[in-house]
Amino acid sequence: MTEEHRHGERRHADRRHPEDGGRIYILPGWVRIWHWCNALLILTLIATGISLHFAGGKAPLIEFSLAVRIHNVAGLLLVVLYIFFVVANAVTGNWWQFVPRPPGILERCLKQTRFYLWGVFKGETEPYPVTREENFNTLQAITYWFMIYLVMPVLVGSGLIFMFPQFAPGEMFGLDGLLPVAVLHYASACIVLAFLIAHVYLCTFGKKISSTFKTMITGWHEH
Amino acid sequence: MPDAGLKYLIRGLGVALVGLLLPLAALAAGPSPEAIAKAKLANEQCFACHSQEGLAHPPQADLDLAKLRGLLVDKPTFEDADHGKFACTKCHNEGYDDFPHEKDAADNTSTCQDCHAKKADKIQAEFDKSVHAKHLADKFSCTTCHDLHSIKVAKNQDEARKIVAQDNRICLGCHDSDQTFARFAPEKKVRPPIDEIHDWLPNARTHWKAVRCVECHTPLGGDMLSHEILNKDRAERKCVSCHSADTSLKVRLYRHLAKQEQEKLGFMNSVVLSENYVIGATRNLALDSVMIGLVALTLLGVLVHAALRVLMHTLRRRKKDD
Ligand code: HEC
Ligand code: HEC
Ligand code: HEC
Ligand code: HEC
Ligand code: HEC
Ligand code: HEC
Ligand code: HEC
Ligand code: HEM
Repeated sequence: MTEEHRHGERRHADRRHPEDGGRIYILPGWVRIWHWCNALLILTLIATGISLHFAGGKAPLIEFSLAVRIHNVAGLLLVVLYIFFVVANAVTGNWWQFVPRPPGILERCLKQTRFYLWGVFKGETEPYPVTREENFNTLQAITYWFMIYLVMPVLVGSGLIFMFPQFAPGEMFGLDGLLPVAVLHYASACIVLAFLIAHVYLCTFGKKISSTFKTMITGWHEH
Repeated sequence: MPDAGLKYLIRGLGVALVGLLLPLAALAAGPSPEAIAKAKLANEQCFACHSQEGLAHPPQADLDLAKLRGLLVDKPTFEDADHGKFACTKCHNEGYDDFPHEKDAADNTSTCQDCHAKKADKIQAEFDKSVHAKHLADKFSCTTCHDLHSIKVAKNQDEARKIVAQDNRICLGCHDSDQTFARFAPEKKVRPPIDEIHDWLPNARTHWKAVRCVECHTPLGGDMLSHEILNKDRAERKCVSCHSADTSLKVRLYRHLAKQEQEKLGFMNSVVLSENYVIGATRNLALDSVMIGLVALTLLGVLVHAALRVLMHTLRRRKKDD
């Protein structure tokens, strides 16, 4: 066994014996404030975005010009909020939370998946409980990294071009140049919506159904 | 050669066929090629003076160049336009053959009525109901909006952007210029600032590059664009008249283009897509299915998982109780 590997093992062993009682403080205030602003804006953008995309049909949607106005304001706020989050993550080093640490990443992912598909039904506990150093299990970290550093930039970037179409290509393959921008925006928005559904559901996996939601408000995690 | 006779026969038949068809084609498509060539030649006489070149090198010394400067006709534009195959003198009948032109020559200019009697009657009736007929009936004529030396109407064009630019230039020429507007407006009438009136429309200027004023300011119906310009109470205000699957653009601006092209790459209203992505109107049905499927499957997965969790939890508890 390599030195590094042993170190990894030890770290995982540590986790099962959290040092202080039943509570640890894992989420600083700025992360919690960011999270709830982000949630509010994204819900608003989803509701108005759907109203724009499926406008004029029979579904009861937000009136088009109102949806445009709200979507534009919320979109710009989200741009600011996203930039804040990326910068704050870099400055505080919080972004390491989204980077799974080797070794054994694949193995931990598989174990986590097995837990979601099997263990949880048998009443097993989380294979990798939360620690101050690692808030997220490996699967979570990878998914969050994917959403925050890949999907969100595409969504926010395409939204900005949509808002200032003079920066879109004039024409592509005989079709309007805004088309690829619109398709990227729409597709990444749908991925965010799908993520959101799974994300909210997986947050019911805490000690109690409501525990994880409380953590995002107070910052304290309960074992 | 053995088949030389056959060749001659075919060629002869071909010539006969063309000879038979040409007059028919000419009937259908306006002036014959010979007539067009003749008109073109005759027009050179007028272009000798009424062109940039004529202005730079006047064929005569005693011309009123300042006046001529305002009376130029651009040759390529004219020849490409709806009336470009005509001789100038077809409309500018008598009095223009010699210079100086006769004093009352302008009175002899043909009117639309002369050649388009049926259409012009219908259009005149629509115009009589238009906003411009109320105070301006005597100041407005067909040529106020239509420059016969350049007009090329929608059905003879294949690019929406060009149609939009041409038609909006007509309206904006007055409605975006205090000077021109005042020349026509009733006394004391101030020009309604075009941007302020439409400030409920986001990116109004972007819209005016992509749709025409008449898209919203005329009633729909009939096989020809209506000439009844609607006032603020009746103009189209609903965004979804364009921004929806059932967009009115396909029977308005894209009406003639829509005939050339059907579904492309699975997009609704794909003919619009060649020049504009219009939110709500140019969706891709396959992409929609994939995306709705993704979200629906996620939701279903979550629901099934949650149901199983609750079920297993109850079962375990019951076992413990036993
Ligand atoms: C030798 C130069 C010359 C030639 C050739 C010429 N014009 Fe003109 N035309 C002028 C000038 C200069 C004016 C300016 C007004 C004036 O002096 O009558 C004018 C004015 C006009 C006007 C405006 C008249 C008005 O009262 O507003 C028309 C229409 C016109 N020309 C048509 C033609 C046509 C059609 C031809 C060819 C058959 C033609 N011109 C040939 C020089 C010429
Ligand atoms: C289909 C009919 C038609 C043809 C063909 C035509 N014109 Fe005209 N033209 C008109 C009419 C109608 C007017 C009067 C416009 C008005 O009342 O303002 C006019 C006006 C003019 C004027 C005066 C422009 C002005 O701004 O007052 C000139 C110069 C002129 N034409 C030159 C020509 C020349 C040169 C040609 C050939 C290259 C030509 N026209 C071909 C119908 C025609
Ligand atoms: C000398 C006869 C003549 C006069 C005068 C004339 N037109 Fe035409 N116009 C024609 C012919 C013929 C065509 C069809 C040309 C073709 O098919 O190539 C035509 C085509 C058009 C078109 C193209 C769309 C269509 O319906 O085919 C418009 C628009 C038009 N004319 C408007 C006018 C207006 C407005 C006036 C009066 C200011 C006018 N014309 C005066 C003969 C005339
Ligand atoms: C207020 C401006 C205005 C006036 C006045 C006006 N037109 Fe038009 N006309 C337009 C516009 C804009 C179009 C749309 C052109 C297009 O199809 O690109 C048009 C289109 C047309 C067409 C083609 C219609 C079609 O769908 O094929 C004809 C023909 C025509 N006009 C004739 C006339 C005649 C004749 C008169 C006078 C009785 C007249 N117009 C007066 C603005 C005007
Ligand atoms: C030659 C100048 C001119 C052109 C071209 C013109 N307009 Fe107008 N328009 C006017 C004037 C002047 C009025 C004011 C009429 C009145 O007060 O009776 C007016 C009035 C209107 C009104 C009613 C608003 C009001 O103040 O009462 C509408 C709507 C309108 N125009 C739309 C259009 C559209 C659409 C076009 C193009 C197809 C167009 N106009 C082309 C000069 C023009
Ligand atoms: C998207 C549809 C739409 C388009 C495109 C549009 N308008 Fe309008 N326009 C309207 C509506 C609706 C009103 C009434 C606004 C109000 O009452 O607040 C209006 C008002 C006006 C008025 C004042 C009318 C009045 O009675 O006072 C004028 C003038 C006018 N438009 C001209 C134009 C011109 C010129 C263009 C093209 C550059 C244009 N519009 C394009 C929908 C449109
Ligand atoms: C007459 C048809 C028509 C009407 C009515 C109309 N639009 Fe549009 N709209 C268009 C077209 C065409 C485009 C595409 C413009 C482009 O791609 O340049 C567009 C583009 C847009 C855009 C996207 C601009 C961008 O690229 O970011 C917005 C936002 C928009 N419209 C909002 C509205 C709202 C809100 C209303 C109602 C108040 C409305 N539109 C009414 C035809 C219309
Ligand atoms: C979770 C976040 C977001 C979602 C779910 C979302 C969703 C959507 C959807 C579905 C559309 C309709 C597109 C179409 O029909 O093709 C749309 C349009 C648009 N989006 Fe977004 N979007 C989001 C974020 C943003 C951001 C961050 C911006 C800007 C900076 C933005 C700017 C726009 C603009 C400008 C349009 C065109 C309509 C308008 O002007 O309002 N969006 N969005």
